[in-house]
Amino acid sequence: MVDLFAAGLLAAIQPQMLLLILLGVVVGIIFGSIPGLTAVMAIALCLPMTYGMSPAAGMSLLVALFVGATSGGLIAAILLKIPGTPSSIATTFDGGPMMEKGEGVKALGAGIVFSFIGTILSIIALVFIAPTLARVALSFGPHEYFAIAIFSLTLIATLSSGSMTTGIFSGLVGFAVSTVGIAPVDATRRFTFGMVELNSGFSILAVLVGMFAIAEVIKVAEGGRAGSNIKIMAPVMKGVKGFGFSMKEFFEQIPNAFRSSVIGIVIGILPGIGAGTSNILAYIAARSRSKTPEKFGKGALEGVVAPESANNAGIGGAMIPLLTLGIPGDAVTAILLGGLMMHGIQPGPMLFVTQAPLVYTIFAALTISAVVMLIVEFYGLRIFVRLLAIPRHILLPMILVLCAVGAFGLASRTFDIWTVLGFGILGYGFVKAGIPTAPFIIGFILGPMAETNFRRGLQLSQGEFTGFLTNPISGAFLALAALSIAWQIWSGMRRRQLQTSN
Amino acid sequence: MANSRTKGLVVGAAMLLTGLVYFLLATRVPGPGGVDAGFFPTLLAVGMILLGAIHMFQHRHHPAAAAPQPVSDDIVEQARAAADDEDAPVGEGAPDYLSVVLSLLLIGLFVLLMRPIGFVFAAAIYLFAQFALLSPSDRPVPWLGLAVLAAVVSAAIFFLFRYGFSLMLPAGPLAPFL
Repeated sequence: MVDLFAAGLLAAIQPQMLLLILLGVVVGIIFGSIPGLTAVMAIALCLPMTYGMSPAAGMSLLVALFVGATSGGLIAAILLKIPGTPSSIATTFDGGPMMEKGEGVKALGAGIVFSFIGTILSIIALVFIAPTLARVALSFGPHEYFAIAIFSLTLIATLSSGSMTTGIFSGLVGFAVSTVGIAPVDATRRFTFGMVELNSGFSILAVLVGMFAIAEVIKVAEGGRAGSNIKIMAPVMKGVKGFGFSMKEFFEQIPNAFRSSVIGIVIGILPGIGAGTSNILAYIAARSRSKTPEKFGKGALEGVVAPESANNAGIGGAMIPLLTLGIPGDAVTAILLGGLMMHGIQPGPMLFVTQAPLVYTIFAALTISAVVMLIVEFYGLRIFVRLLAIPRHILLPMILVLCAVGAFGLASRTFDIWTVLGFGILGYGFVKAGIPTAPFIIGFILGPMAETNFRRGLQLSQGEFTGFLTNPISGAFLALAALSIAWQIWSGMRRRQLQTSN
Repeated sequence: MANSRTKGLVVGAAMLLTGLVYFLLATRVPGPGGVDAGFFPTLLAVGMILLGAIHMFQHRHHPAAAAPQPVSDDIVEQARAAADDEDAPVGEGAPDYLSVVLSLLLIGLFVLLMRPIGFVFAAAIYLFAQFALLSPSDRPVPWLGLAVLAAVVSAAIFFLFRYGFSLMLPAGPLAPFL
């Protein structure tokens, strides 16, 4: 493992790779810091740049964007008291008050340093857990894969925002969209309406860009011509030593950072919930374990360290199921999966056998991205602060054009851009109807995996459905899926009862 | 409450209708029967129909389920609610649907024009119109600045992708000069 990691590191420190990582981190921080711009958008619009690159170079750029965008959210959270991304929501609680007290640089410095520590801890977890899990997963067959896909789908549909009915419905629609094209196993054409372009189904990129980027532009258009009244406070950098906080303060925060990182890693591994939840849970844990909980919400350093360690720790956590099982936990890892597949790489346990150098190059690129993020984010702070002032009515149309370029680049046909637009309207419709979009994406990606493995599994068990229940791993995952639905129904009923009695 | 109840019923009906349409299409998928290419689509359609019916039922008999949750005093609880509401619209006040429709038309026009007039001109026209459409109404629109920005950005994207990343975007009338 050490040899492979060293080889990965050697590959990742080539000048071209370092430049790509630097570019990825900078663009990622910009997208993470500007409210309304997301990591998905950053990755979607940089994907076409990777078409002509080697898989290692392309993936290094994409993971650098992921690291930068996850961390960048803290800039707006502290300076504007508006989270740049949902993963920095809890950072606003104490980051904002620290800024108002004149401790903005300390808050930013601590946020950046502990984002780095969270990322590094999660990469360590990734490097140790992923190969072991991949070895276990090598013995998995169609029964297990079907059950894991159903479990992941159930989890994301029941845990995502909105009601359970709309969550599961969203997952089913995503699954239904994935059935367009040639069916697995018997190669029957379905729902193509005689259009040759639909034979291979919809591309992940077109669906993701439409559902997230175009829908976001339409949401901004919905705001009409109302001007923005956001006031940006610039941190005073003069006379600042190091990262703005003392070594004593650093060592005091280590247990908090470690606990928060563990929360971030564990939540990152689970499909359906990610950094948007883990940063809040880490904040709650830090507040309940603190000797001075009354200081929380008034500018406590622990209140910045906890969410920022946790959200970045989700990076390595989310990469574990993505690389070992090919299961993305959220939209960001879904688009990373799209990036891998675009380069002809199928994530899963075999990836660790057939493409081990690539896997370890990705690990090394993640590590270097964390280091680059630490340096660039703190010392380039003044530039990022200025970018916060760029109005969204200027930025979003540019992003839309870049997304169209990405969609066009898939096969040089305008059909793909129409597809993007179509999914943009669908995504906007979901927003208006209060239907969560994340289960749709996971349903779209895991649908073919579930269907193919279900049909193969049936062939293996001579058409007996019980094969899925008698296989211990598959049976356990299906039982967990049923339990998660039952739990949600029970907690929903209890909530309703409480509301009625109140 | 009445509004959210109506919205719940409309959303439930749309879910049910989607399921019905998909069911009709699924029954047309050729196959020998049993677990064939139409099996999963049929299963999914039945699921959608059931969920649509459940959603309508919930909002018909339990309007409280559709009512907004009481706002907690705790900042963490408020944040958790905000995090859950990831799809909340960003605009404040009443939505401006005219801007939405016009933006969609502009995007459609951009895609339609991309091949005949080339990427640079199509993107420049789109960007200029979209910038102007979304410019804040409380200050004068800097027409010239927006036009220059639109032209520079579209040309920069075209040349960056054509020569930097070998992506052959439609050149249109520029083709003889490239």
